Amino acid sequence: MSLPLAVVGVSHETAPVEIREQVAYGVDEARSALLALRSELAADEAVLLSTCNRTEAYIFPATRERTRGVLLRLFRERIGGIDGDPAPYAFEKWGADAAGHLLSVTAGLDAMVTGEAEIQGQVRDALELARSVPATPSLAGPVLNRLFQTALAAGGQVRSETRIGEGTASVASVAVELAGKIFGSLHGKRILVLGAGMTGELILTALAREGVQSVAVANRTYDRAVHLARKHHGQAVPFERISNILATVDIVLSSTAAPHPVLTRAILTESFTEPRRRPLLVIDIAIPRDVDPAVGDEPGVFLYNVDDLRSIVEEHVQLREEAIPEARSVLAEHRRTFLAWHASREVVPVIRAMRERATRIKESELGRLFARLAGLAPEERALVEEFARRFQNKLLHAPTVRLKKGMAEGSGPELVEVVRFLYEMGDEAARSGGGSRPVPRGADGDAAGSLRDGSVQKQPDADGHGSAPAGTENLNRSAPR
Amino acid sequence: MIHLSAFVAYVGALVPWAYLLFRGPRPNVVAVASGLTVVAVLLHAMATVDFWLTYDQLPLGGLAPALSSLALVGGVALVAVLPLREAGRIALGLLPLLVALEGGALLLGIEPSPMDLGFSGVGFVLHVALAFLGLQGLAVAFAAGLLYLIQHHELKMKRLGRLSRFIPPLATLEKVGRVGLTVGFASLSLALILGWAWTVQNLGSLQIDDPKVIWAVLSWAVFVAIFATRRGPGSSEYRSALAAVIGFAVVVGTYLALRLTAAGTGFFL
Repeated sequence: MSLPLAVVGVSHETAPVEIREQVAYGVDEARSALLALRSELAADEAVLLSTCNRTEAYIFPATRERTRGVLLRLFRERIGGIDGDPAPYAFEKWGADAAGHLLSVTAGLDAMVTGEAEIQGQVRDALELARSVPATPSLAGPVLNRLFQTALAAGGQVRSETRIGEGTASVASVAVELAGKIFGSLHGKRILVLGAGMTGELILTALAREGVQSVAVANRTYDRAVHLARKHHGQAVPFERISNILATVDIVLSSTAAPHPVLTRAILTESFTEPRRRPLLVIDIAIPRDVDPAVGDEPGVFLYNVDDLRSIVEEHVQLREEAIPEARSVLAEHRRTFLAWHASREVVPVIRAMRERATRIKESELGRLFARLAGLAPEERALVEEFARRFQNKLLHAPTVRLKKGMAEGSGPELVEVVRFLYEMGDEAARSGGGSRPVPRGADGDAAGSLRDGSVQKQPDADGHGSAPAGTENLNRSAPR
Repeated sequence: MIHLSAFVAYVGALVPWAYLLFRGPRPNVVAVASGLTVVAVLLHAMATVDFWLTYDQLPLGGLAPALSSLALVGGVALVAVLPLREAGRIALGLLPLLVALEGGALLLGIEPSPMDLGFSGVGFVLHVALAFLGLQGLAVAFAAGLLYLIQHHELKMKRLGRLSRFIPPLATLEKVGRVGLTVGFASLSLALILGWAWTVQNLGSLQIDDPKVIWAVLSWAVFVAIFATRRGPGSSEYRSALAAVIGFAVVVGTYLALRLTAAGTGFFL
């Protein structure tokens, strides 16, 4: 059965950051864009997912040329400089592939770092944003709502049942994980920062987010140390005094530009005027190294240099990539469930029309019967009415169940035609409304059609996969990365 | 039969814990693993009560009953630690030991001692209960220490793989071990005092040449030695973990050695 769903957007796979940052939408901008999409596309439902790695619009129901055209125009309006044309950087997916794409994105399989978890929250936020737009009916209508909920559930299952999210995949997060494996909670832990470089600050920020509180910064340029210390509510210390502080800290983070080691085993042991009971984590991300490797031989001292951290990152990425096939199989099951649900919705108007017709016949016949049996007592009339109601329900139960099952299994269109023929329905089913909107035929010949005149023409599905051609199309196959 | 069921349950509980080690954290599997562990310990406790009711004596006389009781001590300690989230993973260190002890007991045959144990009175019950608590503390410190050493080794080797991620942080293991040692030491100290008081009252002397007295004093000395390792330069946490593992091995090894060389000379051994 057709699924007139489209996703058009740009992602880290199709566009460089210079493009992505221009088509990224803030919350208020996204609300306006969603309203524009509804008015220009006559779309019932629309959700805009905008993150630093992707901006994607999900439209339902969607028509091929018009959806692509409007979205590209919206993107074009945001792109200044370069060549102003978003087409080379955009991608589009249709029908079941569009649904599968969202599932894949939400599970972190399409992320820049495989298995990245932040996307789940961003997908949830995108759905909430669509719900919050003051529009009637809601832009997060039944189909997209169901699709996004399915994606979130699938993403959660993938994370809990596979190793896709195992380990951390950046140097900063590995540093945090290491600290967590040594100290448990980082709340209240003390850190000494040697050097005030950019990467060091990134790691410091990540550690501070986890609760590292007391920060001492030592830098050859004292002003820079003061600046960084202030930023993290710490204190700057002269480089010459670091041995006085070493005994009191839990973590040392070193990233100076010094050409020789600034922390040796001798300095470390001299600083421990009293027996040291707790461990010390030393992270050396400087090139050349700031910390003498012999420091790592000291009992209770855990020394990691930048290569150690990168090697851990690579191991984690490898582990995550090994989990991709398992994750895809989980997602395929959720995609099947969603498509079956959608297909069963398509049959609702037919079932409703069938029941309405039966009810009309029942009431007409009961009217005639009661006219001939005028002497029936109220209790007897009620019994006859109950009999007719039960008879009707039982007669329609099996066809209703078989229709829904047939839709889910892919034989729905034929079954619908048979029911229409048997019950002499004609367009009655379409007129009865309910369920999802019937799939119109587009002007470009796609099974997905235009809704521009508001007409509803039921079209049999040509390929059984979707009204629009399935698959992904990058609008320019040589799009730069 | 109940002992065999308990043994099977211990092995069954070990399977999901091992699965977690190799497949990474899964909340459902953790629940199953914890549930099976509790079931195993409950079955073991039922088997012990059954032994007591059937033979009218505690399973302390003879090697097999004593091994089984020692396993139960560890099992109870493990159940006590299970609710402590990550700390519950010390099951991976403790369960194999319990399986070995209970398996060994089953192989030897858990039979009642032919000797009249003749233990009675509140003082004796308290003595046994506190001694068990003391050994529980040492068993917990052993399991936490063992995992500490593995985690320490993984971190020193700069590996942050599945083993490291499964084992709790060093700080958590250190804390669990410290609590186990503190509670265990206090309990065993009190148990020794009560035991001596009971012995002097009932037997007229301290019985210092009795193997079980030797073993109990040695166990107490092991606690003292472990605490002593926390002093001095370098990482005291590491030394304490190492000492807990060695100390527990010494206590278990001494017990077995005394039992094999001095069989029949004491009720407990």
